[in-house]
Amino acid sequence: MASFKPTKIQVYPKLGEKVTQDTLYWKNYKAPVQIKEFGAVTSIDFSPVTPHNFAVTAFTRIHIYGPFSQEPVKSFTRFKDTAYCGRFRSDGQLLVAGCEDSVVRLFDVSGKVALRLFKGHTKAVHLTDFTSDRYQILTGSDDYTCRLWDIPNATELTTYREHTDYIRCGVTSKLNRDLFITGSYDHTVKLFDARVEKSVITMDHGQPVESVLLYPSEGLLVSAGGRHVKVWDLLKGGQPLVSLKNHHKTVTSLALSSNGQRLLSASLDRHVKVYNTTNYKVVHNFDYAASILSLGLAPDDESIVVGMTNSILSIKHRKKQEDSKEIAGQQRRRPSYRVFVKGKNYVPKQDDYLVCKPVKEHLAKYDKQLRTFDVSKALDTALGTYIRFRKPEITVAVIKELDRRGTLKNALAGRDERGLSQLLNFIIGNLVDARFTPVLVTAAEMILDIYKSVIGQSPVVDRQLLRLQDLVEREIDFQKELLEVLGMLDTMFASSLPRKEVPCSGIGRSNGLTQGEPSTSKPQLQVT
Amino acid sequence: MAADGGSSSLQLPCVFSPKSRQFLALCAQDGRLRIWNTDSKTLHQEYVPSAHLSATCTCIAWGPCRTVKEGPQRKKRKSEAVQVEEKADLLAMGTAAGTVLIYSTAKGALHCTLDGAHSGGVNCVQWHPEESLLYSGSDDTNIVEWDLQTGKTRSKWKADRAAVTSLCVSPDGKLLLSAGHIIKMWDLDTKEVYRKFTGHSTAVTTLRFATTRPPDSNGLYFLSGAAHDRLLSVWQVREDGKDKNSVVSFTLTDEPQHIDLVTSNSKEEAVRLAVVCKDGQLHLFEHFLNGPCKKPLSPSCTVQMSDTKESPMPIPLLAAVLGADTRTVMLAYGSRLQPVMEKVEINTAERHVCLARDVQTTLSLSMETTVSKVKTPIVNAKSKVLVPGLPGHKAPLKGTSQGSEKRKKDTDTKEMSIAERLGEIDLSTVSEKGASKGTASLQTDNFAVLLVQGLESNDASILNKVFLTRKEMVIKKTVARLPLSAVLPLVEELTKRLQGHPFTAVLMVRWLKAVLMHHTSYLASLPDLVTQLGALYHMIESRVKMFHKLTKLQGKLYLLMTQMATSDSSNVVSDVDHTAKLVYEDESSDEDEASGDEGLPDEDSDHWEEDEAMTEDNQEESEDEDPDSRTESKANGEEDMEHENESEEE
Repeated sequence: MASFKPTKIQVYPKLGEKVTQDTLYWKNYKAPVQIKEFGAVTSIDFSPVTPHNFAVTAFTRIHIYGPFSQEPVKSFTRFKDTAYCGRFRSDGQLLVAGCEDSVVRLFDVSGKVALRLFKGHTKAVHLTDFTSDRYQILTGSDDYTCRLWDIPNATELTTYREHTDYIRCGVTSKLNRDLFITGSYDHTVKLFDARVEKSVITMDHGQPVESVLLYPSEGLLVSAGGRHVKVWDLLKGGQPLVSLKNHHKTVTSLALSSNGQRLLSASLDRHVKVYNTTNYKVVHNFDYAASILSLGLAPDDESIVVGMTNSILSIKHRKKQEDSKEIAGQQRRRPSYRVFVKGKNYVPKQDDYLVCKPVKEHLAKYDKQLRTFDVSKALDTALGTYIRFRKPEITVAVIKELDRRGTLKNALAGRDERGLSQLLNFIIGNLVDARFTPVLVTAAEMILDIYKSVIGQSPVVDRQLLRLQDLVEREIDFQKELLEVLGMLDTMFASSLPRKEVPCSGIGRSNGLTQGEPSTSKPQLQVT
Repeated sequence: MAADGGSSSLQLPCVFSPKSRQFLALCAQDGRLRIWNTDSKTLHQEYVPSAHLSATCTCIAWGPCRTVKEGPQRKKRKSEAVQVEEKADLLAMGTAAGTVLIYSTAKGALHCTLDGAHSGGVNCVQWHPEESLLYSGSDDTNIVEWDLQTGKTRSKWKADRAAVTSLCVSPDGKLLLSAGHIIKMWDLDTKEVYRKFTGHSTAVTTLRFATTRPPDSNGLYFLSGAAHDRLLSVWQVREDGKDKNSVVSFTLTDEPQHIDLVTSNSKEEAVRLAVVCKDGQLHLFEHFLNGPCKKPLSPSCTVQMSDTKESPMPIPLLAAVLGADTRTVMLAYGSRLQPVMEKVEINTAERHVCLARDVQTTLSLSMETTVSKVKTPIVNAKSKVLVPGLPGHKAPLKGTSQGSEKRKKDTDTKEMSIAERLGEIDLSTVSEKGASKGTASLQTDNFAVLLVQGLESNDASILNKVFLTRKEMVIKKTVARLPLSAVLPLVEELTKRLQGHPFTAVLMVRWLKAVLMHHTSYLASLPDLVTQLGALYHMIESRVKMFHKLTKLQGKLYLLMTQMATSDSSNVVSDVDHTAKLVYEDESSDEDEASGDEGLPDEDSDHWEEDEAMTEDNQEESEDEDPDSRTESKANGEEDMEHENESEEE
């Protein structure tokens, strides 16, 4: 006896955006928490030690937020003017920040007053960082110099005067205490070695450099400036590897996802883009409300923190595993059932004749109804609210199956006003979907055949029929236009080999159009 | 005295003229000085300083009113002395380049330029209330006293270690307050420091005398506000010199931007204060100044303004001045480019007042009038006569005024945000009426730059806005100006969008056609044309596959619907006059309907009315969505035809 074959739901290719692993990963964040700061948020830095607090530099203050607090855990307000670039030391104990008044301040994270003041710069200090030995500080300023300072006695060790414009960004090596990199508005990124007291490598970015970032391996360097993000190979002496241009305004901030697989760039054009670091393609895109000045990513991508020009700090936390626990719970039931099946790990020997346990087939409700030839009810089930809206492909598959069996007419017939309007609604909603058109057109024709005698009796159905008519009309107009385009494309394909004729005809046609003939369709029809 | 709120370099100055408050002088982001008439609420004058981009105007101060009644008439200039008006006339503007411009509103032109004394930008200017003297404070830490009769500096002295950010001359003209971080009180006769007041940690942006009593009576008070500070401090000048701390402070919601106060002349008279903060709120205070008060005072009334949309957005207030009686306040609000001025009665019994105003309409109204107002001075016939006669003097004047008018139009379109520009395109009728010449809206005839930006960053909102354009010309021009590098991404994006609902996809086809037409040669010359456009081709092919069947379905629907319509219309006709005739004639074709008619004539006619209404609705909808609904009209035509046929038959 041939067993019942369940309706085959065709898997159609999805329209529009592809759902990749990346989009799933980056969409798995909660709704953002937004905090109003006192001014534009210029810098965000995560503490390297748990619980990974982050320092937010905005206007004349630095606030430190805990991983889940919406109120600052700590705030440093002893700045005379706008503060810049608050950064944690690698042990998370100290914080350094520059200021518009050219003084660099060093804070204890638990204290309030600055432990040390480093005076020497003559203009605003936009770059501060600790070297990897923890005892020195790197600063870069608008007076074109960058300096190294000794923390214990607050003295200046060296001054580098190689840049010819503002120094606005920089980073120290985490592996070597003598290496550091600065980016300047003179379009260059320079790698300095404190042992030789001058720059070792100079890379020309081409635009004022706004942000630099080192890969954890420190073999690759990323610089952002203007609309470009560039990747440089330091081991090959600063050879440019990749140049990315995916923003339409200046890129202001860079971050690396914690495993180094994804690069994030934030820009004044209100987007954060996520790049794959193997092929440097954009894999995801975040939109924000205002121009972004700073971007921070917590370790393990637990949260994305973005600071904007409208002084709003937006924090997105990753959804916890608990949120999807229900699904996990459902999956867990299966093994507990199998415990009852004894001798499961018995391995059959060669001579054994294996009798398979008949697998109980799980049938969907509409399949069960189809099995009992309850065609009308099966269609009703397939038109249920959930399926109709969420999985129209199932409804369509059932209609198709009914059509194959030749019972579609029966299923469609005998409906009251409500049932019919529901059906028509579905058809109107999905008719133009190219995947469903063939099936639904048949169904629509059948509906018209069946119900033509009662048309005009129900205002609801009549209205829907009018809508359907309007829709079909539009679709046909659209397809007519498409056919015209197809003709144009044909001409183009055909003439792309002998190249001489096409440009002439093309120019002639476009000229004729731009000279102001209002009816665009005529010349195209000649083409088709 | 004129309010001088904007003396910090960050804020743009916005000042009402003294006494009658007839004018509002406002320096917008584009560096132009605009003077608005508060009575007629129109643009009175516009002046573009020659260096308005490099040396922006940082502060404005109105000169004292020159009236006949006010006792001795000061003679600033010999030429002007004859022309006596009861009007605020001169306006001093300090610029970032260190010059001070004196502008005459009576002449509508620059009166003179005072320069050569400051090496840094001017932060504040103040007029002496009686003599024709002007004080300016600058980033170079100096205060300069200008003599306006000679146009030269009378004296110059170093006032502070830091930049001088604010100045104020006492009402009797004997004392001068200056402030960087420290407030100093100078004796103007000797130019020596009389008192020092410390307490502000940031630059002081506002200084005002609150009383008019002599300094040695313990009754002289002044108030100060500083950048990023949400307090206004009141200081008492005490006889014994023990004036270390501020005596009273007023709390605000943000940094003060514009201050107006009514000074008190005796102890029994309260000081009234109107402060507009940076966040666009207005706070009103009333306080009797008699000694220290520990608690910070909160406002007696706070005024906010919002628009009338469904989700109201706050409208920032720019400036406010107190009227003669306690309740009226003159407000200026909205955009700096087109402020709206209004006299408002405020119920001070309530702590918090929120006013709702529709700025959009008022804006467009004021724009129409401004354009017309600006035009009038240009059309004066004088310039024709005078240009050859006085080439040195008048010719440049005329040139600037014309130029400014033209440039102003440009900026009106330029300064608008992208969203506004897009909005203007949709509601193009309004803007075209406003600009009337049609030249002003040239800025918005294509979206090429916007489209390229959208494609580069894949910004869905920008792309949506661009692609939903319906104007054929805009599409054409945009595509024509598109750089070649953006053509293929555009085609790719269009391919994606073509798959959607026909309502929107039809718009995409227009774009696609425009691309194919304008860039035929480029596309045809691509070596990998087939692979580039293959996806598009296949997509179209698969969609068009159903054309045949769909057309059939449409035919069916069309037939049924017209049948329905005719049967209904025939019904009505029959209801009106002859029922029987039609039944006979239609028997063969419409058995169903006919039988239905016989059975339930009333019900059916009811249905018909509803149906007809619905079809009309539908038609309206479709007409809204698509301007050229040819088939609809065709359907109507057919119905009409059938009407006629039937009547003939009858």
